[in-house]
Amino acid sequence: MQDPELLQEGLGLMALGMGFVFVFLAILVFLLTLMSGIIRRFQPAPAPVAPGGGAKPAPRGKGQDDETLAVISAAVHRYRSKRRR
Amino acid sequence: MDKLLTLWQGSGLYNLELGQAVMVMVGLLLLYLAIYKKFEPLLLVPIGFGGILANIPEAGLALSALDQAIDVGRPVLLEQIASALGGSLDSQANIESWRTSLQQMMANGASAEQLATAKAVAKGAGYGDGLLYMFYTVAITSGIAPLIIFMGVGAMTDFGPLLANPRTLFLGAAAQFGIFATLFGAVLLSSMGWMDFSLNQAAAIGIIGGADGPTSIYVSSMLAPELLGAIAVAAYAYMALVPLIQPPIMRLLTSKKEREITMTQLRPVSKLEKIVFPLLLLILVALFLPDASPLLGMFCFGNLMRECGVVERLSDTAQNSLINIVTIMLGLAVGSKLMADSFLAVETLGIMALGIVAFGIGTTAGVLMAKLMNLVSKMPINPLIGAAGVSAVPMAARVANKVGLESNPHNFLLMHAMGPNVAGVIGSAVAAGVMIKYLG
Repeated sequence: MQDPELLQEGLGLMALGMGFVFVFLAILVFLLTLMSGIIRRFQPAPAPVAPGGGAKPAPRGKGQDDETLAVISAAVHRYRSKRRR
Repeated sequence: MDKLLTLWQGSGLYNLELGQAVMVMVGLLLLYLAIYKKFEPLLLVPIGFGGILANIPEAGLALSALDQAIDVGRPVLLEQIASALGGSLDSQANIESWRTSLQQMMANGASAEQLATAKAVAKGAGYGDGLLYMFYTVAITSGIAPLIIFMGVGAMTDFGPLLANPRTLFLGAAAQFGIFATLFGAVLLSSMGWMDFSLNQAAAIGIIGGADGPTSIYVSSMLAPELLGAIAVAAYAYMALVPLIQPPIMRLLTSKKEREITMTQLRPVSKLEKIVFPLLLLILVALFLPDASPLLGMFCFGNLMRECGVVERLSDTAQNSLINIVTIMLGLAVGSKLMADSFLAVETLGIMALGIVAFGIGTTAGVLMAKLMNLVSKMPINPLIGAAGVSAVPMAARVANKVGLESNPHNFLLMHAMGPNVAGVIGSAVAAGVMIKYLG
């Protein structure tokens, strides 16, 4: 069989391929950082409600919070008292 | 009585070979996995059904007109084909050995012209290309189906998390180690004499580790079409198994403390950044790796349609109806490669084994890379998101999220894991480009 040759070629392709993937993505990281930097400098502060990839936005007012709490506890109370009967 | 005998000899039962029966069972198994176990049903239902169709005896749904004529033709026709191919048949031998010698003639030494004449002879005798064969030619030989699916995936992908934290691209790169390690594994197996893979075949098998169905199909259709059936089945089956394969590896490689790391919230990404990104990626591909431009070009196109916001209808078609239509054709076409004589081989077992190894190594490399980045960077990085570097969007990200929640029920990693996840798609497409460049 052509063992050593095939093996060597496989090893070569592995090193080349992995190296290339890393270099390519490293360049991409660099360019992305650069691009974001430029864009954010010239078009600063996207509105906080922008369709961002962030997790859930939580701009809750205090008053609203209290109100919700009151409603929930009323509902729980009602449910429980109904169940006991 | 004679007519009854003819009817019997033309029946499927009479002509059923053991291999075909086994392959029908394999097709049924795939259907079972898809329907009851919910293993990537969108692909495995068409693939499984196509596999059954391809193995119906005498019907030749997955064969070209010429193959069909050779398989079931009458002696006179066989002689005509032989003369068209520039050979002759041994008049002493029986008809079965005629068929095999004709196939040998076709496999080695017939010129393109001779094949064309022989094909014309077969067509003239009333044989036509099988249904699945036509699907295969249109969808896969042309390379179009995987590319359209890639466009749809691009149109479905939100690069926001990646843009907010570009360094997660390194995780997507690290996870591609699975591809190349598997390639080396396949080469090693054949140099030890256990299997017989060429370098092209090894490369096509390795791509399974990219956990990306369309990429695997695209690469194997270019480098090793004879293994396409096994590779596609392995790729989709293991993609469905991601929630089972990954968590044990992730738990093994990380401490509980590492799994509890909370990451800082991602910044919002502006629309302009999202529009510029696919163009930037496209330019980069054009400059450095034109061989990946079919895959990544379609991907960028799909993503641009999504983000630019002025072609809602096109974007909607690309990510819904079009991708669905193409999925049906692609599935049936892959199914046509599940024919007994090519699928039932030791190599298929080897591919299945190597595929799962590829997933494991990819996950390992991603997690280790994330640990390394956590050590050197100021921003904390939860090593679990490294596992999402194998593509399998969005399954791998969900798995990372789930394992993270097990350690800390308030730690939602999903958005952070989407970054490496889509990076994995880019990474495996780049890896595919390198392979095609090197071997194609």
